[in-house]
Amino acid sequence: MSITEKAYQPIDITKIASGNKLSILWQLTSGFHPHYLIANLFTGLAALARTWMYLYLGGFVDQVLKEGVVGSDLIVSALSFGALIVLQALSSFMASWMANFTAENSTRRLRDILFDHIQRLPYSYHSEAKTGDLLERATSDVDTVRRFFADQAIGIGRIVMVFVISFLAIARINLRLAWISIIIIPIVLVVSMFFFKALSKAYEAYQEQGAVLSTELQENLSGVRVVKAFARQDYEIGKFDNDNQKKYRLGRKFAWMHSLFWPLSDIICSAQTIASSFTAAMMVINGLMSIGQFMTFIGLLGWLIWPIRNLGRLIIDTSRTFVSLGRITTILKADEENMTSAAFQPEDGIQGQITFEDVCFAYEKDQVVLEDVNFNCQAGEVVALLGSTGSGKTSLVNLLPRFYDVTSGRILLDGVNLNEYSREFLRSQIGIVEQEPFLFSTSIRENITYGVHREVSEEEIINAAKEAAIHDVILEFKNGYDTMVGERGVTLSGGQKQRLAIARTLLINPRILIMDDSTSSVDMETEVQIREALDGLMANRTTFIIAHRIQSIMNADQILVFDQGKIVQKGVHEELVNQPGMYQDIYEIQARIDSALQEEIERVDLL
Amino acid sequence: MSTYYDENELDDEVNLQSGVLSRLLKLLKPYWVLVVLGILSIALVSWLDAYYTVLNKRIIDEGILTRDIETMTRLFWNYGFIVLGQVVAFFVMLLCVGVQGERLRYDLRKRLFNHLQSLSLSYFSKTPIGWIMSRVTSDTEKMGDLLTWGIIDTMWALTNIGFAVYFMLQLNTTLALIVIISLPVMIIVSFKFRIKIYYHYRKSRKANSKMTASLNENITGVRVVKALLREDKNLENFKVLSTDMFRESYRAGFLSAIYLPTIQTVSAISLVLVLWRGGLMVGNSMLSVGTLQAFVSYIMTILWPIQDLARVYAEMQNAIASSERVFSLLETKPEIHDRENVLPVDSLVGDVEFENVSFHYEDGEPVIQNLSFHIPQGQKVALVGTTGGGKTTIVNLLCRFYEPSSGTIRIAEHDYLEYPLDDIQSRIGVVLQIPHLFSGSIRENLRYGRLDATDEEIEQAAKLAGAHDFIVKFEKGYDSDVGEGGNQLSVGQKQLISIARALLADPDIFVMDEATSSVDTLTEALIQKGMLQLMTGRTSFIIAHRLSTIKSADQIFVIEDGQIAESGSHKSLIQQRGIYYNLYTKQFRHDLESKFDPFGGAETEANPA
Repeated sequence: MSITEKAYQPIDITKIASGNKLSILWQLTSGFHPHYLIANLFTGLAALARTWMYLYLGGFVDQVLKEGVVGSDLIVSALSFGALIVLQALSSFMASWMANFTAENSTRRLRDILFDHIQRLPYSYHSEAKTGDLLERATSDVDTVRRFFADQAIGIGRIVMVFVISFLAIARINLRLAWISIIIIPIVLVVSMFFFKALSKAYEAYQEQGAVLSTELQENLSGVRVVKAFARQDYEIGKFDNDNQKKYRLGRKFAWMHSLFWPLSDIICSAQTIASSFTAAMMVINGLMSIGQFMTFIGLLGWLIWPIRNLGRLIIDTSRTFVSLGRITTILKADEENMTSAAFQPEDGIQGQITFEDVCFAYEKDQVVLEDVNFNCQAGEVVALLGSTGSGKTSLVNLLPRFYDVTSGRILLDGVNLNEYSREFLRSQIGIVEQEPFLFSTSIRENITYGVHREVSEEEIINAAKEAAIHDVILEFKNGYDTMVGERGVTLSGGQKQRLAIARTLLINPRILIMDDSTSSVDMETEVQIREALDGLMANRTTFIIAHRIQSIMNADQILVFDQGKIVQKGVHEELVNQPGMYQDIYEIQARIDSALQEEIERVDLL
Repeated sequence: MSTYYDENELDDEVNLQSGVLSRLLKLLKPYWVLVVLGILSIALVSWLDAYYTVLNKRIIDEGILTRDIETMTRLFWNYGFIVLGQVVAFFVMLLCVGVQGERLRYDLRKRLFNHLQSLSLSYFSKTPIGWIMSRVTSDTEKMGDLLTWGIIDTMWALTNIGFAVYFMLQLNTTLALIVIISLPVMIIVSFKFRIKIYYHYRKSRKANSKMTASLNENITGVRVVKALLREDKNLENFKVLSTDMFRESYRAGFLSAIYLPTIQTVSAISLVLVLWRGGLMVGNSMLSVGTLQAFVSYIMTILWPIQDLARVYAEMQNAIASSERVFSLLETKPEIHDRENVLPVDSLVGDVEFENVSFHYEDGEPVIQNLSFHIPQGQKVALVGTTGGGKTTIVNLLCRFYEPSSGTIRIAEHDYLEYPLDDIQSRIGVVLQIPHLFSGSIRENLRYGRLDATDEEIEQAAKLAGAHDFIVKFEKGYDSDVGEGGNQLSVGQKQLISIARALLADPDIFVMDEATSSVDTLTEALIQKGMLQLMTGRTSFIIAHRLSTIKSADQIFVIEDGQIAESGSHKSLIQQRGIYYNLYTKQFRHDLESKFDPFGGAETEANPA
């Protein structure tokens, strides 16, 4: 089966994203059109073989009755009949196999395309999209499309072909009989489409109620302490029972729908069967038809009538597929971030000198986040950004790796406009250490080497971990560096996560560093270690620190104080501390705290 | 999350000796009428199914071939009546099975939920929520399927095969034997295929949940992915997962594609034999044409019940494993329960006393050791100390979320084990560090404190707690939706609501785990005021982080390693210059820093990543 796992032919997303739904489906199966064609051919062949089988059976009976039989002829006839069944079986197999092949391969490609496309969408897209929604589209909507390829696309063709071939075969026996036999077909089709549509609605309501129930259960479980604290078990039981009953009632409605539809449509189809069979039987008696032909007819009649109900289902399912497909293409239509355009790439890397010239930035029009930001820093300098929440610090550092681009003004790196560097190149030169970095649920080792685009020796990893003051912590875990992080492994504290990110950044060795300096989640002992680790990391790199505390930035080469998107103060510690303003206020608090504490203790002692 | 626990349980070994089957059947007892009716109807349906073929034969032999229009018409009428009868039976069966299934699922969910309410806190602290959720949601579905369609499909298949065999034997023994001999082959082949198909199907489900997890992580961590240029590598990793998924799903599909044609081929052999032998007999007038036709149609339709039988069998393993897990949950005994001859009380006003209380979890590590203290009615106690020292365990013991491993806790002069659990818990008001609200309106959440509270009382409580002002600022006021887990509200607002909720309950003893997270100054002041309201006149235990709370306490306990390391008033403890002194000065610094820090601001900044 290994041939099936070979790489598939890539497809152009822009082609998928444009065009109508049918052409999208066509694009999605590109490379597998021959398979799909084969699937359909064999579907037809299977239908032919089956029809032939019934014709043959009729012929056989007539021959036996009319001429009597010779043993050897009989064997040949029986064997031919068997051969037809086998041919039919083989064709069905080929058809299902090829349809399955097309469906699974196309879906695998679609999954990969979506995964890749989603991760390459610009950061702005992600900050607005809901994770759950993206996930839903990339999983259950994709599965709906897969089922379309596997079932509906081939199923509709099959039912139509079986219908046509059976009809033609019956028409050859007796045209009038053929027409009589399909009188109720439109009714069955309409009724079943109507039913399956209603059914899918009822099913959705049922599923939704299931979700309500799950949420309720989840809240009850996560709030178990509150439930117990107020001794509200009975109340919870009542509430759950209420929703549980609703689900029961919806399910019962669902059961009623099935119980009515199937028997009722059975009556309609059976009435047709009886009427047609009776007509045919009369024809035999009146000599218009042979008994063999009658048997052929009875066999084919079933294939003419009964699959129509299923056709109704398939058509409704297909309309649901189009909804899913639409949801998928909206994602595909969004443009990916261009990682490689603007190919300026200095031969001996960058130095790290950065200039902001009249930089303005807004996420949306009229909502200015940064206004006329001007400053210049030399390579290797440390720039501290100070300011309250929403003052623009985070937005400023988001501009450097070009997560966002400036609205007006320009940013120069080593004298060259940032827009002339590709995003890929820029990001390879910038390291980011966040306050509480996101870790992936894989081993600690892989988290440290995550994003290090080269082979890293064990020694290097350990050295980096030591430098980041996390080595000892890692060794305390049972599996050391192979310990899994996250849900199925250890839970790391914010400070530990930050130090893992420091180790990682040390290995990447970027020229520019962006750091969120917050030690709020760290206790006293580790604060010193982190301080040292950070100092080591900052050495010789142009560093931007988003600072929350004054102690950590006293040595910065430049301090920028932000308020409402503007730089309100600029300078080094010695200058700012002697200037009236925000910085001075903050600085003086430290001294005030010490004396206040002293006073307080003395006061208590004297009581 | 629920998928994770669900799909991870792939290799469930089922031990049928464990009596799980008989327990499953016992579950059907309440619906035995529906079950019996369903089974009888399906048996009727399959008998009539098999009889159609006989009727067809008679129409051919007695009607058409003899040109007896009268008999033929009569037979066609019979045909029509049988259709009607079958349709009615079919209807009864569908309805019985459908309703019984829903009823069973409903009852199972209810039993599980009710049982969960009786379990102790210790059960929930060691059992992941996702695991429990899977039991209540997907396992009950699987059990429901097995006990409805599993049974009906099996019955249908068995009766269908049985009746077909019976009619074939009636029609012609030789030909019938040919068919019967082929049956075991078809059955064995079917079972083998179905089991394999289901195996790959479940593996594909497992691969699917891994794939989804990976995608989820990549979206949540997209900022890191982008910053570290991991796109190519991540796609490569994802492709491994999507290929796994592809492989299993493809295999299941491939096996399904080959399965039916295979048994059709097997049936072709018996068909060839029947046609040959039968043809000879028809030629010698030893067999009627109708009979031959009947055999052909039996052979061609007997595939379906065999298929169904195999499918039910393959899925049964999994459903039984589900049942075992559900039964095991239902069998879990609550660790904390009422003793015999409890003493109902409607007030817990009185002193609180711990006497040599020790506590350890199942694994044996002592958390609280020989703790003794005595709190007179109405006093405020502040518990301070480092994380993991045992503060939370002390209040958990007090609320009787846990019971002491040894020693006695007395409330109002009685060992609290003598009281009913409900009476204790409804007389102790608890405000948690991370307040938990339920989806619904603010009013509903407040009413949780006292279910029969009037709207005025609710408002009164909210005013006392200082929550009223922000509530009325919402467009819908008290009817505003708090969102799932209260996520539409800020932490401070949630705290105020949970204080109001506790006030409404009007407890005799008040327990609070003070929040460490900072809220804005105004809200903070409101919270302090609300707490003061709650503490007035009530014996209160506060796991305290705020200096003001600590200082206003009548007694302060410094808890270290499960014991009281220091105790006394603020003044005496400061003068001791011990652990408390260190904690206090550190906290003092921290408080002032955050108070004066213009950048710390109100509630912590939401990280845009």
